[in-house]
Amino acid sequence: MKTIDQLKNLRLMALLFAAIAIVGCSDDDDAAPEEEEEVEVITNVSLVFTNTTDPTDVVTASAVDPDGEGVQDLVVDPAGITLSVNTTYALTFVIQNALDPNDVEDIGEEIEDEDDEHQIFFGFTDGAFADPTGDGNIDMASNPINYEDEDSDNQDGSGNPVGLETTWTTGAAPLAGGNFTARLQHQPDIKTATTGATDGDTDFNLSFVLNIQ
Amino acid sequence: MKLKLLLAFFFITYVVSINGQDRPCSFSASGQVLDVDTEEPVPNAVVKVEGTKKYTTTDSKGYFEINGLCSKQNTLIISCIGYADSTKDHEHDSAMHFYLTEEVTDLEEVIIQAQRNKEEGTETIAQVTVGKAEIVSNPTRSLAAVLAKEQGLTFISTGNNVQLPVIHGLFGNRILILNNGVKHGFQNWGTDHAPEIDIASANSITVIKGAAGVRYGPEALGGAIVVESNPLLLNNPLYANIGTGYQTNGRGYHTTFEIGHGTEKWSYYANGNYTRIGDRKAPDYNLTNTGKEESAFGLGVLYHKDEWDFKVQYSYIDQNLGVLRASFVNSPEALIQAFNASTPEPADPFSYDITAPNQTTQHHLAKAEVNWWYSDTGKLTLIGGIQLNQRDEFDVRRNIELPIIDLDLLTYDYQLAWKHPKWHGLNGLLGVQYFSQNNDNNPGTQTTPFIPNYNTDRFSAFGVESITFGKNTFEAGLRFDFETNDVRGRETNQDIFRDNYSFTNFTASLGYVRRFSENSVFRTNIGSAWRTPNVAELFSFGQEGFRLIYGLLRFTDSDGDFPIDTSEVIALDDSNVEPERGFKFINEFETNKNGNSHKLTVYSHFIDNYIFDRPITVSGSIRGPTTAFIYNQVDALFLGADYSWKRQWTNQISGTFGINYLWSRNIGENEALINQPPISTSYGLEWNQGKIWKFDSSKWTIRPSYTFRQFQAPRTVSIESLVDGSEMITSDSEIFDFTDAPEGYFLLDLSWTFGWKNLSASVTAQNLLNSRYRDYLNELRFFADEPGRNILFTLNYKFNSK
Repeated sequence: MKTIDQLKNLRLMALLFAAIAIVGCSDDDDAAPEEEEEVEVITNVSLVFTNTTDPTDVVTASAVDPDGEGVQDLVVDPAGITLSVNTTYALTFVIQNALDPNDVEDIGEEIEDEDDEHQIFFGFTDGAFADPTGDGNIDMASNPINYEDEDSDNQDGSGNPVGLETTWTTGAAPLAGGNFTARLQHQPDIKTATTGATDGDTDFNLSFVLNIQ
Repeated sequence: MKLKLLLAFFFITYVVSINGQDRPCSFSASGQVLDVDTEEPVPNAVVKVEGTKKYTTTDSKGYFEINGLCSKQNTLIISCIGYADSTKDHEHDSAMHFYLTEEVTDLEEVIIQAQRNKEEGTETIAQVTVGKAEIVSNPTRSLAAVLAKEQGLTFISTGNNVQLPVIHGLFGNRILILNNGVKHGFQNWGTDHAPEIDIASANSITVIKGAAGVRYGPEALGGAIVVESNPLLLNNPLYANIGTGYQTNGRGYHTTFEIGHGTEKWSYYANGNYTRIGDRKAPDYNLTNTGKEESAFGLGVLYHKDEWDFKVQYSYIDQNLGVLRASFVNSPEALIQAFNASTPEPADPFSYDITAPNQTTQHHLAKAEVNWWYSDTGKLTLIGGIQLNQRDEFDVRRNIELPIIDLDLLTYDYQLAWKHPKWHGLNGLLGVQYFSQNNDNNPGTQTTPFIPNYNTDRFSAFGVESITFGKNTFEAGLRFDFETNDVRGRETNQDIFRDNYSFTNFTASLGYVRRFSENSVFRTNIGSAWRTPNVAELFSFGQEGFRLIYGLLRFTDSDGDFPIDTSEVIALDDSNVEPERGFKFINEFETNKNGNSHKLTVYSHFIDNYIFDRPITVSGSIRGPTTAFIYNQVDALFLGADYSWKRQWTNQISGTFGINYLWSRNIGENEALINQPPISTSYGLEWNQGKIWKFDSSKWTIRPSYTFRQFQAPRTVSIESLVDGSEMITSDSEIFDFTDAPEGYFLLDLSWTFGWKNLSASVTAQNLLNSRYRDYLNELRFFADEPGRNILFTLNYKFNSK
């Protein structure tokens, strides 16, 4: 009887040791997640107006959200955009994620790569420009905008505008304290010739003061 | 005496270690044998335990009781003059169906309804069990939706596929889910991560409604859900079940199978499940991208030798869950538009396709368990479990083909429990546990990880003791946990942040059960529980769907223009963040007399440092103003009651009335909490026709239910008023929500289940009236109605070799 008890005690001990042995061999590592090329966040957007006849005449207006997804507010260039009368400008964009100052991501490239899913829409003070006329295509997608680019792999068979390159011609009339809005819409699988500024999701939506003098 | 067909109902109550009777072995069986034709008790039937000398005879009322059973699994032989002998195999804590060979005529079904043994260490806590029959008739529903019919339970969801169980207002990390004896290790944060459990393979699901922290550890603060798979019975003839079905809403189909066999020493099972559902439909429109695809597979083997049981189980589940496409909006303008849309955009024609936003998960679970009845009343149990949870989440974005969240979570769980022999009248369970989790982000998402990498290691020891004097049982438990966390994450500028924190905690529980009579029982329990804030609650930062969200360590109160400052990551030790601690006092009174049974559960739950997320402001961003949420930590009080009343109106018709009430409040600041379940009530009427026409069984159920509007919801502050500045929010402002709580709604469900020989089938209509409604606890309530009418057909074939 005693030997049986001892045998049972031995088994009990064996079980305990087995449990401890298993516990002892769990692995551990302390690696941080690998660095990612953050393409979701946009912190800096610059509108670059270049005089088509004088490439040294460049007007830039920027909007910066210094902490990206943080709660800090967006800072829009208070000076706004100041253009000359009777001049034609080519508008291009610099779109970046500059959260990591040592590794600034060019989101503009990302958008170019997926130009069939993106379009920039514009809105401005009615009659601010001689060409395009009107108030832009944010309120109505069919309103005129001089798109100088089109996408490659589009949904409805013909090249649709993207808006990374546009041209703008000011008239003779000056303007003070007007408005200029650029809005990038992400329209995966839905972008067509007729989709507008409320279709899809907004990547940026920025308003600047517009002066023409 | 004329030969009769016998259909016996046994109520077998197995009392495990926690009882006060003195006996050499700790299992017992008691029950009643009834003649199904006359519903009269069968007296003087001999009930014998095979392989032992234990036997008894039923008394004049058909009752029997056998004590001192040493084995978990026994074979009962029931015989009576005039009835065929029947040999039954069973385990001590499972609900089963058996077949009985009648001497002269054909096969007859014997139903043994085993009243489920209370989980050791939770005897005094209110609990409820959902059995196999209920699970089988809801094959396409989630775990949470199946449980939601029970009193005190509901679910919180993100759309139609992601549903998390809610017990008395608490969900997520406050509900511990025990799958096959180990804690289900998954990405348990937010309301958009549901447990990946294949309920089709579950044998029973028990919900423990009180704080079960002592027995199960941290996170069982609001309760525990215990999912049991196939019980691996010995001496069980070869069986196979095959089921299939179709549902109209989403044109879903499913198929399940299970096969198993138990010999004297061996038992095994294998099961599988495949479900596919397309886009669901609300009464007025399609819910685009709400499909679901799920496949699951499981197997288990038991080897039984003398006083040893060796059990090995493996299960695998693969899910692809679609999330309503219209819910993906990342600017408040689109959000306002979506809030006000009569039809969610896009609402495309029906499709089975699942595209972004969606979630795919593969979950592997492997478990080994050894039980050793080393003496007549002592038992040692060793459990080791390994789980791998691989989750990918996709969002509508540039690089849509890359997951935005790509996580591997590895969980180890080892438990050693000792059910000690009776000692000075005390029965008890003592145990030690080691639990570890390793969470890793897989690179290549092209976005900053939302959740950091982390390792959690926890060492625990617990003891639960009980003692019984006559009709009274007292239970007390104590647990010790030591937990360390090592966290490594990235800020959005790709700088690495690290944090280490440890907690030591004691948890205690005290309970009491009084059995007034055969028919009435009262149980009361007060228990504490705790949990470490999870990594999402601590470290979340940035865009998640239509909102920005900041974890407890990612913001501070500020005096600037905004109510909060999110410029730095705070170390936990330097913050005010504390573990959540809960104290739940739960009482249950149950009585069953003259065809009326009443069950009343009353509880109060105080949670110190209760963590929840809430809107805080609208923040300017390059996308335009964006809704911002924070995690908050407050002192919260939950008071509530569940009541059910079942009445047997006639032999065939019974009705069950249920009502749930919960009052909850942030008592620190005396303001409302958010996302709390509203009052709900239901009446289920069941007409059990028994044998009718060609059917061996036929049962009709009709269940109207009404869910009230949540009148305790916080005040409403519209996004518009925050954007235009007409409403200013500071860190002292009262809690608010962006929209009003939806109106109350009425639903009607109807079902018919019937059996014919080895076939059983059901037709169930959910939301029969095709009601339009939105549910306050659905995070996607802003965007679309809930699904409309669904008619579900199921067919099951059961084969037994005996």
